[in-house]
Amino acid sequence: MPREALFASTLVELADTLVADFDVVDLLTLLSDRCVEVLDVGAAGIMLAAPDGSLRVMASSSDTMRLLELFELQAQDGPCLDSFRTGEPVVNDDLEGSSDRWPQFSIEARDAGFRSVLALPMRLRGAVIGALNLFNVELGPMSDSDVVAARAFADVATIAILQHRAVHEAQLLNDQLAFALNSRIVIEQAKGIIAERMKIDMDEAFRALRYHSRNHNVRLATLAAEVVDGAVRAGDLDDPPPVTRR
Amino acid sequence: MTGAGIMLMSGDMPRGSVCSTDGVSRLIEQLQYDLGEGPCVDAYRTNIPVLEPNLAIPAAPRWVAFQASAVEAGARGVFGFPMTVGAARIGALNLYRDRPGALTDDQHADALVMAEVAAQTVLLLQADAPPGQLAAELEAGADFHFAVHQAAGMVAAQLEIPVAQALVRLRAHAFGHGRDLVDVARDVVARTLRFDNTVDRDPPGEDEPTA
Repeated sequence: MPREALFASTLVELADTLVADFDVVDLLTLLSDRCVEVLDVGAAGIMLAAPDGSLRVMASSSDTMRLLELFELQAQDGPCLDSFRTGEPVVNDDLEGSSDRWPQFSIEARDAGFRSVLALPMRLRGAVIGALNLFNVELGPMSDSDVVAARAFADVATIAILQHRAVHEAQLLNDQLAFALNSRIVIEQAKGIIAERMKIDMDEAFRALRYHSRNHNVRLATLAAEVVDGAVRAGDLDDPPPVTRR
Repeated sequence: MTGAGIMLMSGDMPRGSVCSTDGVSRLIEQLQYDLGEGPCVDAYRTNIPVLEPNLAIPAAPRWVAFQASAVEAGARGVFGFPMTVGAARIGALNLYRDRPGALTDDQHADALVMAEVAAQTVLLLQADAPPGQLAAELEAGADFHFAVHQAAGMVAAQLEIPVAQALVRLRAHAFGHGRDLVDVARDVVARTLRFDNTVDRDPPGEDEPTA
């Protein structure tokens, strides 16, 4: 496949993940593999920020790359970290000249056979969620067209990940909402059953339910569900102490 | 638009009304809660907007029980928009007007945006709630008809039937007597109405469908 066609089809592949449910690691592995195939680079890797703000290696096109990225995180110095911290691209055409900037990383990178590096922030407006690292065995800058293409890959992946997070969070919140609402409903139903069987009012029924749930260390909604499905009979609930003052 | 309201749903069922702009909107939501049918219920279940621009003379008959009562209340066009955030379905935005007529493209687009904003807002409110509990703002502003569930529990005990069946009996009683489900439920909770296979047949002559 010609390079332009490969580039286009990669964008389509990445964009596909915006519609269907997808796995973030799969997406990032695809992205790092395509970077090596489409762009003129030796290795590619992606780091994402964890909820606590620290970076994690998420995908690498090779084991060498993976080890180098892990080293960068351990040493807390290197182009990927700089790009993530500043939110700006970090270009280094000659790793030999970068001993001052990244004393430990530049040695490790050269030992691994790399001569130049480009780190791009994965950023949407203000939010930087990680960085894409491209390493090369040759000296010198990447071509302009490769940089543009890499930028496009990073942007699409960033949007896909942010979208995935938003959807996931909404789903989680909605599940919580439905759970809370259903818990409430089953508690009201149990109150009705207890009130009817024990010939007491709703407040007294709720007191009995709550007293028994605390005495037996059972969640209120769990006990209520047991009353509703008949596993616990209203008459078997512990008698709450009498109310002395209102 | 004449009026609007927001209904929360879960498990394919209306769970309660969060807000409504006027009495007719409230009634339209109440009817859907009582009957389990209507534009919001369909919008939630199918996850697409459900539009009925001429409720009095619909192109195809639907919502047999809902339609007559909603028209009688003054609704001529009813529109339900699903409230979703990604794959999460939260409820439906309910719009009505007192004269027939389709929504313009702009109105349709605005309604879609409003439904999404409403969905986001509900989730944001719920985000601050303690686990397992409803957000206080939702609990305070919304009407989740808890009396209906208390009454279902009482009727279940009276008739020795599961609560789901008891809820069907309550709905049937309300429908058969032309009453609000919530009013019937309040009578049960106040113990002025009992379901013991005789009293709930009052007034005599009316056939109570059994669940």
